[in-house]
Amino acid sequence: MSKKIGVFVCHCGTNISATVDVEKVAEEAKKNNPGVSYTTTYKYMCSDPGQKLLRDKIKEEGLDGVVVAACSPKMHEHTFRNASKKAGMNPYHVEISNLREQCSWVHPDKPTGTEKSIDLVRMMTEKTRKDKSLNPIKVPVTKRALVIGGGIAGIQAALDIADAGHEVVMVEREASIGGHMAQLSETFPTLDCSQCIMTPKMVELAQNENIKLYTWSEIEAVDGYLGNFDVKIRKKARSVDLDLCTGCSSCWQVCPSKKIKSEFDMKLGNRTAIYIPFPQAIPSKPVIDREHCLLFKDARKKNIPPNDSKVCRKCLDVCPIAPVKAIDYSQEDEIITEKIGAIVVATGYKELDDTSMYGEYGGGKYQDVITGLQFERLASASGPTEGEIQRPSDGKVPEIIVFIQCVGSRDPAKGCSYCSKTCCMYTAKHTMLYKHKVHDGHAYVFYIDIRCAGKDYEEFWLRAVEEEGATYLRGRVSRIYKKGDKLVVLGADTLTGSVVEIEADMVVLASAMKAQDDAEKFAQKLSIQYNKDKFFSEIHPKLKPVESSSAGIFLAGTCQGPKDIPETVAQAGAAASKVLALLSADELEREPVVAKVDRLPAPIFSTCIGCFYCKRVCPYGAIAEEDIKARDGSVIKTVARVNEGLCQGCGLCAATCRSKSVELAGFNDEQVYAEINSVEFS
Amino acid sequence: MIEELRKKAEELLKNGTVKVVFGYGEGSTPERTRPVFITKPEDVNKLTWNKYCVYNLTTYLKRQETRKLGKPALILKGCDARTIIVLLKECQIKREDVYIIGVTCDGVGDPLATKCEACDVHTPLIYDDLVGEKRENKEVPFEERYAELDEYEKLGEKEKWEFWQKQFEKCIKCYACSNICPLCFCDRCIVEKNQPQWIDPSAHPRGNLSWNVTRAYHLAGRCINCEECQRVCPVDIPLNLLNKKLAKEAEKSFNYRPGYNIDDELAMSTYKEDDDQDFFK
Amino acid sequence: MSETKFEPKIIAFLCNWCTYAGADLAGTGRKQYQANVRIIKLPCTGGIDPLFLIKAFERGADGILVSGCHPGDCHYNSGNYHARRRWNVFRPLLEFCGINPDRIQFSWISAAEGGKWVETINSIVDTVRALGPFEGYHKLNTIGPEISGEAAAPSETG
Repeated sequence: MSKKIGVFVCHCGTNISATVDVEKVAEEAKKNNPGVSYTTTYKYMCSDPGQKLLRDKIKEEGLDGVVVAACSPKMHEHTFRNASKKAGMNPYHVEISNLREQCSWVHPDKPTGTEKSIDLVRMMTEKTRKDKSLNPIKVPVTKRALVIGGGIAGIQAALDIADAGHEVVMVEREASIGGHMAQLSETFPTLDCSQCIMTPKMVELAQNENIKLYTWSEIEAVDGYLGNFDVKIRKKARSVDLDLCTGCSSCWQVCPSKKIKSEFDMKLGNRTAIYIPFPQAIPSKPVIDREHCLLFKDARKKNIPPNDSKVCRKCLDVCPIAPVKAIDYSQEDEIITEKIGAIVVATGYKELDDTSMYGEYGGGKYQDVITGLQFERLASASGPTEGEIQRPSDGKVPEIIVFIQCVGSRDPAKGCSYCSKTCCMYTAKHTMLYKHKVHDGHAYVFYIDIRCAGKDYEEFWLRAVEEEGATYLRGRVSRIYKKGDKLVVLGADTLTGSVVEIEADMVVLASAMKAQDDAEKFAQKLSIQYNKDKFFSEIHPKLKPVESSSAGIFLAGTCQGPKDIPETVAQAGAAASKVLALLSADELEREPVVAKVDRLPAPIFSTCIGCFYCKRVCPYGAIAEEDIKARDGSVIKTVARVNEGLCQGCGLCAATCRSKSVELAGFNDEQVYAEINSVEFS
Repeated sequence: MIEELRKKAEELLKNGTVKVVFGYGEGSTPERTRPVFITKPEDVNKLTWNKYCVYNLTTYLKRQETRKLGKPALILKGCDARTIIVLLKECQIKREDVYIIGVTCDGVGDPLATKCEACDVHTPLIYDDLVGEKRENKEVPFEERYAELDEYEKLGEKEKWEFWQKQFEKCIKCYACSNICPLCFCDRCIVEKNQPQWIDPSAHPRGNLSWNVTRAYHLAGRCINCEECQRVCPVDIPLNLLNKKLAKEAEKSFNYRPGYNIDDELAMSTYKEDDDQDFFK
Repeated sequence: MSETKFEPKIIAFLCNWCTYAGADLAGTGRKQYQANVRIIKLPCTGGIDPLFLIKAFERGADGILVSGCHPGDCHYNSGNYHARRRWNVFRPLLEFCGINPDRIQFSWISAAEGGKWVETINSIVDTVRALGPFEGYHKLNTIGPEISGEAAAPSETG
């Protein structure tokens, strides 16, 4: 039986009607299409009265298909489908003709726009004719969240979710949570001590009974889908039993390998081979760095199990735990699977530390040219110099210090076009910290622009310049070279048009925030999108800022793009609230746009011949082999079956199937065929 | 060699390894052979082997009538045996369900079939038993293998179009090409799907183009170039040119040749991140 | 047909996440382009069966555009990679049969590339306009081989 289709053409104020003769479009829709039984135009279809009109006409006219010719389906498809549902029609009989974004706004000539609109409406009318009723897929929700990354973003998100009563699994790849914020000295614009505000949060997290913490662990694989993820976590061999260890510190005190560059101190300080990254680490229990530990080195060299090496067992010997020691050289990586309902990705950033591409700044060879995070460690009371600003080469307190902004940011020539957002502010902070510690010293800053767009930020910067006496020079540094124990900084002051030459004791590069080295691989593991700079992409830059492209996976913090602490915390809270909304339901409804392999009566059962190309191409492992059995249990044929819980509706299987035995609901063969076939060619 | 084949077949049938032997029998004239299906040991003398054994017997693996006979042993030339590798990859047969009597081969047909001109599988790559003296499978250079295409690829756009239109115009949509093809094994061919009818089943130039292009495309990265489609075409459309063109593109772009290595991923079910995309804008 | 100025009809098969959104963005930015394109939206370029293209030509298209997410950006991870593989063999096949490859264009256009969408459309429309109507295909008979009739009207089987 042929459908009764209603066509509703929206004026969108004058957005559409200015360049499209909407009345004519409605008229033609009726004239050319026998199935169209009702047409109208309306000023704003998306308004309440517009939706009411739609609902009323569905009922009055007995419509069983609707075409709304309006703005992009990305805007209001949902609105109109919901309205139709309220009127008792299956919402998947609604199609949207994109008359605004793809017609009226791009074709100023009215006859042209009108003619194209008529075509667009016809195409969707034909598609609608073939629409089938679809019902949302209901999936149960596992009420647990996974937070990946234990920096401030991850900690905030985890606490917010846990405080609402849900279980949280946190995975941190380093030996301690804390992330970059734990490394910072003071924070702008208030100059409060970073660790003083960070560590209480870390403790809170450790004490929260709803949070299960995996440190020294990484995500191995994420399978499943929204509400039902199976997450494989690799617990890397720590060589220390976290249950037994009390963190008494005996082991790292006796470790003979004392000259390993500390990652936490940005290689400005040293650590031992068995170590905790920093005094307030959580868990406050060590890890053995197997690369540098003498015992493991020896075992590798001799190709023997670590336990058989006798080179050095000092940490084990000194461990006071009995009867079983907390140190275990034979520990191996362990894979744990956790069932998860929603995921927050808070994997943070990596500071641009490879400055070798900046040959003009010494290409990473001058010891006293350091990065922003290195300066943080120098200024930090817990840092390698206990807060005294000393230059790395000889420990001298620098009398003249030069800061260079935008290193690795806003520099398309070096492949980084974006602004790292925080460097203007942290450089201003650095000049102040320096001034507070070295009263007679002088700080120069080379900058391109000063970007202080934040609450109290402008004032903070002004304070650096006006009260703390930093000299700001607008221009790029062209070269740094060594002269005796000084670094000569050659730059331009574009405001006075002069060349500047400064003999500095130390140079600090305001290095960019970069995506983590493995961001791309990680994103692929999670099936989330990322931009050209490998920062993870939100699905809508304005209206869905924390949602990733994969349903149920949310983004928080700098893994999504450079941002400062307040912004990170706010975003983490937003991600947590999205997770909570998701976990508040017992069941989730999913769009029924999923693939299906046909099933027919015996003796055919299915036209699927079981070549399983579909199974091979499916990015989600959503296709399984199914045996069709006779009564006696013998297998008649083996065919493909789609697990609609896993299927994400890409249609790859349908296009791969030679016999067209798989179809994608909402974009089935007949619908696509009808669309192609309805394009009018003169 | 014939004796050896017969002995082997007899043995397999007698000891119950297989229920049937797919082989070649003498045809109505000396220049012909025909497929025979031997189910009794005493019938093995019907088997023959000569240069007229051009058919690819693997096509009988997809037919209900011959499938019903039970586990088969197939007498396969090197080229035919490549089909087995594809069928295994595409889950159409299980290795233990077929017994392969490989025969070494110096080429079939009189004159020599085109498919034999650049043969690099004189000795089959997969078999349970090998009959005939083992030959070295010498690699034939890429250009030589696809040399047949040169004169057609050189044609201008219009000439190509006219050439193929002339060919497709002849098509009577008898589907002999897909019936004989051992790899056209769908229960329901795409032309038989009528809701919607993507390919017009009647024989007219427009539908013929769709059919012939689609048939060839469906063999992309799969066709092992046995030329059976072309051999059986009653109106002599050079179908294998299309198949060969696709094989060439698949090899050029994906470095893939079907039926050579059971461990290779099927070309059209995988991808490489650095696949060619020069034609993308 | 020959009297009036030839305006090519282009059918574009777009993925929902990148190019369709890119086309929307062009609209939001009020970037003007030629009105010769009719868009068919699919979730992913990986879901485009070559049959769709054949059908589009059969139906009367003078040119076809297939466009989706840039490599690595597929919403479904690998859909565009599989699609690319398909076109790697399908395109030469059509060319071999005498179809000008300029009539089928492929591109990667992201949701942020409204400008590229406009350029792509204008370019394909201009290219196909220069090639002229795809008369070879349009004139193919839809009647039996033995009758050489006039160019038949597009078949309408519904």
